[in-house]
Order: sequence, then C-alpha cells, then structure tokens
Amino acid sequence: MQRDYHDILWGGFLSLLGLAVAVYSATHYDIGNLRRMGPGFFPVSLGAVLALLGVVIAIPALWRAGETRSFAGRELLGIIVALLLFALLMNRVGIVVTAAAVSFVASAVAPRPGIVWRLVLAAVIAGLTWAVFIEALEMAIPVWPWSR
Amino acid sequence: MITHISRRGFSAAAIAIALTAATPVLAQEWPTGPLHVYVGFPAGSSPDTIARMIAEPLAEALGQPVVIENKPGAGGVIGVQQMLAQSDGHSFGVTINGPLTTAQRMIADIGYDAVTDIAPVSLIATTPLVLAVSSDFAADDAASFIEDAKARPGEISYGSVGQGSGAHLTAELFASEAGIELFHIPFQSYAEVTTSILGGEIDSGFMAPSAALPHVEAGKMKMLGVTSAEPFPQVPDVPVLAGQAGLPDNFRAELWDAFIAPAGTDPAIIERLNTEITAILGDKEIQEKLLAIGWKAEGGAPDLLAQRIVEDTELWGAVIDKTEAAAE
Amino acid sequence: MTTLEGLAHGFTVALQPEVLIYSLFGALLGTFVGVLPGIGAMAAITLLLPLTYYISSEAALVMLAGVYYGAQYGGAVASILLRLPGTPQSVVTALDGYPMAQQGRGGVALFTAMISSFAGSMLGIVVLVVLAGWLSAVATEFGAADYAAMMIMGLVAASTIGSKHPAKSFAMVVLGLILGCVGTDVNSGAQRLTFGRTELIDGINLVALAMGLFGVAEVISNIRRADRHGPPDRVTLRQLIPTRQDLRRMVAPVLRGTGLGGMLGALPGTGSTISSFLSYAMEQRIARQPERFGKGAIEGVAGPEAANNSAAITAFVPTLTLGIPGDPIMALMLGALIIHGIQPGPLMLEARPDMFWGLVVSFGIGNLFLLILNLPLIGIWVSMLRIPFRWLYPAIIVFICLGVYSVRGSVFDIAMVAGIGAVGYALSLAAFSPALLLLGFVLGPLIETNLRRAMLISRGDPMIFLERPIACGFIMAAVALILFPMVKSVFRGRRPGALPPDPRGIWTKKKGRR
Repeated sequence: MQRDYHDILWGGFLSLLGLAVAVYSATHYDIGNLRRMGPGFFPVSLGAVLALLGVVIAIPALWRAGETRSFAGRELLGIIVALLLFALLMNRVGIVVTAAAVSFVASAVAPRPGIVWRLVLAAVIAGLTWAVFIEALEMAIPVWPWSR
Repeated sequence: MITHISRRGFSAAAIAIALTAATPVLAQEWPTGPLHVYVGFPAGSSPDTIARMIAEPLAEALGQPVVIENKPGAGGVIGVQQMLAQSDGHSFGVTINGPLTTAQRMIADIGYDAVTDIAPVSLIATTPLVLAVSSDFAADDAASFIEDAKARPGEISYGSVGQGSGAHLTAELFASEAGIELFHIPFQSYAEVTTSILGGEIDSGFMAPSAALPHVEAGKMKMLGVTSAEPFPQVPDVPVLAGQAGLPDNFRAELWDAFIAPAGTDPAIIERLNTEITAILGDKEIQEKLLAIGWKAEGGAPDLLAQRIVEDTELWGAVIDKTEAAAE
Repeated sequence: MTTLEGLAHGFTVALQPEVLIYSLFGALLGTFVGVLPGIGAMAAITLLLPLTYYISSEAALVMLAGVYYGAQYGGAVASILLRLPGTPQSVVTALDGYPMAQQGRGGVALFTAMISSFAGSMLGIVVLVVLAGWLSAVATEFGAADYAAMMIMGLVAASTIGSKHPAKSFAMVVLGLILGCVGTDVNSGAQRLTFGRTELIDGINLVALAMGLFGVAEVISNIRRADRHGPPDRVTLRQLIPTRQDLRRMVAPVLRGTGLGGMLGALPGTGSTISSFLSYAMEQRIARQPERFGKGAIEGVAGPEAANNSAAITAFVPTLTLGIPGDPIMALMLGALIIHGIQPGPLMLEARPDMFWGLVVSFGIGNLFLLILNLPLIGIWVSMLRIPFRWLYPAIIVFICLGVYSVRGSVFDIAMVAGIGAVGYALSLAAFSPALLLLGFVLGPLIETNLRRAMLISRGDPMIFLERPIACGFIMAAVALILFPMVKSVFRGRRPGALPPDPRGIWTKKKGRR
C-alpha cells in the first residue's frame, strides 16, 4: 500500500516546528499573565497548538493510502537558484544584467533544451523590464553595473 | 517604496560617481553628483514629507538633484543603516530622534553608534505632543488631571504607539515628574489611540497636536497641555506643561527631525549643507508648510544637534531605566 | 447641505475636466501597476505623490483614489490568469478565478471580477452616501475586544476554505499566526523570532510571503505540466462573455458581498481582507454544491470581488470623517489631503462638502472609466495565456523579484521568497491551503494586539468578551459556526460523498481539457 507520505512528513515537520517555536519562545520571551500578557504568550500557545495539529495530521495518515504526486525537483532547484541569483546580483550589477541572468538560469529547467531561444528570451525580458520599471515607472533602482 | 524626483540624465552622472568614488571627495568641487538622502520611513509619512520639502530647494542651491531614498523599517533605523552602508560622499539621511537616541536601547544589534558614527548636520524641525483626553473626562487642565491621578493611582489609562515609542516615554516622563502612576496600553498607531479615546476605552494619550486637533474642534476631545518649552504655534491656546502643577520648569519632551551625514564626512561639506539648510528653513513659505503638517522649523549649527542627541539620549535613557525597573 | 444637494454639488466638482482627466489617468495607471505582481497601489501612489503637490486637491485625491481601485482590479487580473496575488484580497480571487482560467474560462473570470467589482463599488457608494454618519459612529464604537472577537470569528469562518481535512486547515491558520508573530511585539517592544536580523524587525514582508506561496510555488509545479498541455486555443469573443446561467449565479453573491464589504470596510485596517474571505466562506457554505469551490466556481470570484470593492469605498469613511486611515494607502491619501491644507475629521463634511461629495461622485465616475477601459482589455489579457509557458515563467520570476524588491529595496526579502517558494511548493504537494496561511499571517498580529489590549483594558477579566454586545455577538457566531456542522451531521446523517454531477461542470471540463 502506498501510504500518505505527504501528510506523514508534513505532520511530523509541523509538530517539530511547533515544538521548536514553543520551546524557543518559552525560554526567550516573558509569558506574562492574563492581565498583561508578555511577548511569549502567543508564540508559546500557538507553537503548542501547531505541535498538536501536526500529530493529528500525521497519525491517521499512517494507515491511509495517499496519492503520489510527482516531485518536480529539477524545476524547484532551478527556480530557487534563479531567485537567489537575483538577490545576489541586484545590488551589484543593476536590474538589466540581473534580469537577463535570472531569466537565463530560470529557463534552464524548461522542458525544451537549447541555448539560443533562452538567450533571446533573456534579452527580451531584460529589455521589457527596463522599459516597464525604469522607463515607464521610473523606479529608483540600480540599472547598470556602473550606476551603484 | 522606491521613487525619486528626477532621473533623466542620471547615467552620465552615475558614471561620474563611479569614476570619482575611489578618490576622496574634495569640498571645493562637491557635489559632483546627485545627493542621496536616506529616509527610514515610507513615502507620505511626515519624515518623508519633510525630507521632500527640503530636497527641492536644496537641489536648487547645490545644482545637483537630491534623490529621496525611502528605506522604511525598524522605526527609522534601517534608513540610518542604509545611509552608513554607502561610502560615496553623496549619501545623507533625514531621521527623527528615535534612531539616534533611544533605538540603541531597543534594538540589540543596531550596528552603529549615534555619537561616533553619525556626523550631525542640522536640526530641521521639532514637534511636541499634547496630552489629550475625551471631552467626557472630568479634568479640564493638567493640574486637575494630576490630582485625579494621585487620588486613584494606576487607574487612569493612557494609549501610546508601542513600548518605547515617543508617546510612551513622554507619558512615563510626565508621570514620574508629576509623581503619579498611569496605566499604559500600547497601540499600533495614533489613529487607534484616537479612536479608543473617542470610544471611551482609554482615558488619555500623548499624541501629535495635528492628530487631536480635528476632534478638539468637533468638541469630542480636550487638550490639557503641550510638552514643548513654549506654546506650540499650531495649538497656541494649549498651555505648556512645564511649571504646571508641580512639574519642573524645564519639563520638555519633543520629537525632532534632523539632517545627518556619516561620520568622517569632510567638515567643509557639513558646513555647506548646514548653511543651505538653515537658509531654506528661514523661508517663510517652508515654515508655514512645516507647520501645516505639525512641525516647527528649527535649523541651527551642527553642534546644536550634537548636543540635542546627547541630551535626549540621557533623558530617555533614564526614563527607559525607570520603566524597565518598574516592569521587574 | 442635504445629501441630494451634496451629490449635485459633487457632480459639479467631479465633472471638471481636470478632475476627470486625473481620474482616468489614475484608473489607468492603477490597472497597469496592479497587474504587475507585487507592485500594487502603494507603489503607484508613491510614484504619483510628488505630482499631487502641483495639482488641485480634488484632482489629487481623485487620481489617488483611481489608482487605489484600479490597482485592485489589476491585481485580480494577475491572480486570475497567473495565480500571482499581491494582496490578501486577491488571494481569495485566485482561489476560483485561477482554476477557471485553467479551464479556458479566464475571460469569463475576468469579466466576472470586473462586473462584480463595478457593482460592489457602485452599491458601496450607495452605502457610503446613506450610512456615512452611522458608519463613522460604528468605527469608534468598535473596541479592542470587538475587533479581536470579529477576527477570531473570521478565522473560524474561513478555516473551512480549501481543504478536506479540518486539521490541515487549522494547521495552516496556526502556522500563519506564528509567522505573523515574527518582528517587534508592539506591547513589549521585544523582537520575536527575528534571530538578530534587522530585516525581520518589522516582520516578514507580506508581498514576499504571498509571492512565494502562490506565484513561485505555482511556477515550479507548472513548468512541466503546462508544456504538456500546450497553450489554450484562441479565445473567441463568445468565450469572454458569461452565459446567462453565469450571470444568474453572480447576482446573489454580489449583493451579499457588497453588504459584507460595505459594513466591514468602515472598520479601519481589517475590513477589506476579512470581508473578502468571509464572503468566500459564506458563498461556499450556502452553495448547494460546495465541492465546486476551489475548482472554478463563479460565485467564489463574484462575491469576494464585490466585497473587497465595496469595502474599499466605505474605507474612506473613517479616513475622511475621523481622520483615521485604515491602511497604509489611506494614510498616504490622508497625507496628500493634509499637504493641501485639508484636515479630515468630524468636521470635514461641514467644512469641505465640495471635497467630500466631489470624491464620492468621482468614485462612481472612476469606476465607470475602469469598466469601459477594461472590458476591451480582457481579450488582450487572456491572450497573454497563449504565450508558451516556458517563455512566460522566467519573466514571471523576474517580475516577482522586482515586485518584492520594490517594497523596500531589500535583497533579503528576495532570499525569503526563494525559501518561502520552496516551502509553498512542498505544501501544495500535500494539498495544504496557502490562502489560510496568509489569512492567519495577516490577521494574527491584529488578533494578538487587540486581544492583549482588551485584557489590559478589562484589567485581566476575560468576561469583557461577553459583556460587550458586539464582541459577544461575534463570539456567539464563531461558536455557532463550529457547532452548526456537527448538529447538522447528527440530524441528517453524513452527506453523500459524491453529488450528482453539475451539467455545467461537465461542459467546462470538456472545454478546458481540449
């Protein structure tokens, strides 16, 4: 039988997360009392509730058949790398180069291989970004590598 | 939000910056490019509006565009941090008092020291707070408010815009100087404090005169006193709290807004900026515009601002010590 | 001045050529920036702020108002076609609008959003005119306990959205509430769960969260899938226009949504978000086939769109009559008024009737412009979907980044989008509802501060929630919402799992999968 692994894993993860939030908040923030609740009151209670809900999600899933959904690992990786690339480049080389680089990297995980169409796409997106955000909306963001 | 006043023709200027960034900026040829003024508040907020009022005439006087960079966050601290992160000789800041006085007590890793890392340029404007109560509240002046509070310690509540905010610290300073105990209820904005006073949920609050004024005119609120040393032009009829009902004569609690530079900026550049800003603040029209949004134009030498930073850090530091001690 | 005289006077103000032109300009620009993910009304208004110093105060405010509701519609376009909601309100629109678009009914979804927004705004104006005085009284009557109770009721009502498993729904709400705790605690000034990062002192960036959970997660799961299906066929005009049955299905949700939005919009801060979620939850609850929701139910687009637009209109009540802005955009507009020497407040209606009524009338005119402008644009927006997805998604990623970056120029927020996007994709695999996470995130800080404030005000006595009539009413409603399904299942026995298929559903399925 194919178990509902998604729910088992997420239930377990949410449980641990809730527990971590509750413990961290309880040790770092004041809980206070009912009249003057401290900053810890909410995170501790919410963490405890989440830990409980995680168990409620995971336990029944152990005996339940679940759907399998294909995991788009390659696509996930490509998009995350593209986003991090934007964070890395934006303040250093400006929007035009960043937009081109990000689109080029993001398009690497597209189902169709090839370099040429991706280069063209990167150029088009960079141009479009420049036209919309810099020319039309006049945003004050770094445009070129030399414009700090 | 990111916007700026004028961008056309920037590319050439930008290249110029890139070429000169390596060499120290010399005062006689300064400014060689557009000035970037970092504001730690969103566009449309009062520190931003003030910065924009100054930016236009300043750009005219210096012959270079003045670009407002809004970097809102952490009560204005992000704006100061962002200014300090630049090192091109053309980055400055407009900030309220918080990031230079109390922020170090509130935020653990603030990343700068207000005395050693900041070069004061000029005070721009100040604003006091008024003690406001609902029109249903019994007391009509500060003296009877204090008397009332002495009769029932800890029962009169006041709203502020958060722990450690100007409104909170002002109220605590007022309470400790008057020898009374008030019940603090934090809110997120003056708007919420106002509604709560109007709805009768809380008794009082220290707030910007312009926030209370419309409700006073409508007969729903009363202003019992103002925290400035002299009567404030926007609400000339409201008596100053200093010297009233046992409060010391030097009682003063004001928010201020100032023009700053990173430490190490050429003194000649500071001097130049100070001269221009002082001239701008001397303009009647600017003064009226400032007053319309609740601020009084100030100006003055860089030393005056430096002194103000030291004084207020000490004043509010003492108040924070007291509230922290009371909380434990 | 009576209401009628006021309105007549309002027309003379709003029909000035200058005012008309700026209204048109505002609506246009608003739609345009609203379509860009993450760049909402706030960015556009900031952009226009310097301009407002130089034009008349009526024109300035009318233009900003135009941007405000134009952006709301533009946001609906992005969330329906690409699942890129930039605001909590458009998250609700995406719930059923996006499935509709995937079934090839994107045109109908846009048309529905457009018409419902228009109807919601127009009816909202009626509510505003008739009830302005009463609404501003309500806004001051609402105390901390009432706000807290209302939002708790809203969370309970909405937590039925989107998932078959109640535990999974609640878990998302609670996770959202926890994420909402990140940042400075207003009451104590403590920095919670920031782990020493200054970027987190003001909390997690809402746009980053919404873009990560929806846009990025959707792109990741769509890259392979979309290419298999290929682009949808060319849309004909007929497919843009709702059928008679569609229209019939829209009427009641629009009216209910308008009512909800009109009432709740007057509450500073929360009205718009709560009313769109509540409207959606309400439509799902009273629908004969609640299973259709989340799979392209037209009521799920019509109700919430009407609700958030009428809320956007009545949101001007506290701003203008109390000088109390409900959200950052209202605060900006308030600032624009004050710069022009107009102090909104209880006396505004008497002191500046021209301003008040001119604004009211121009809302109507602006919305009419919006309708006329956008109906022809629907075809163009929809044809965007014919672009192969492999060309479209890198652009979406770049635009998402820019949208998030534009909020405060922080690359830290972009890194957050990457992390949140990965988590959002994993959540979608397990069929968790990201909409509920976002609702919890938005309402969490409001619930917490109001709850804590209510307890301070009552000096620690929880009875305040039962003693105040408004709060008590909401608490009762929340309890009823929890108990009602249980009681129903006891009396009726369990509902059958599968309902007789909806003839329309079959049709759309066939059409959509061609």
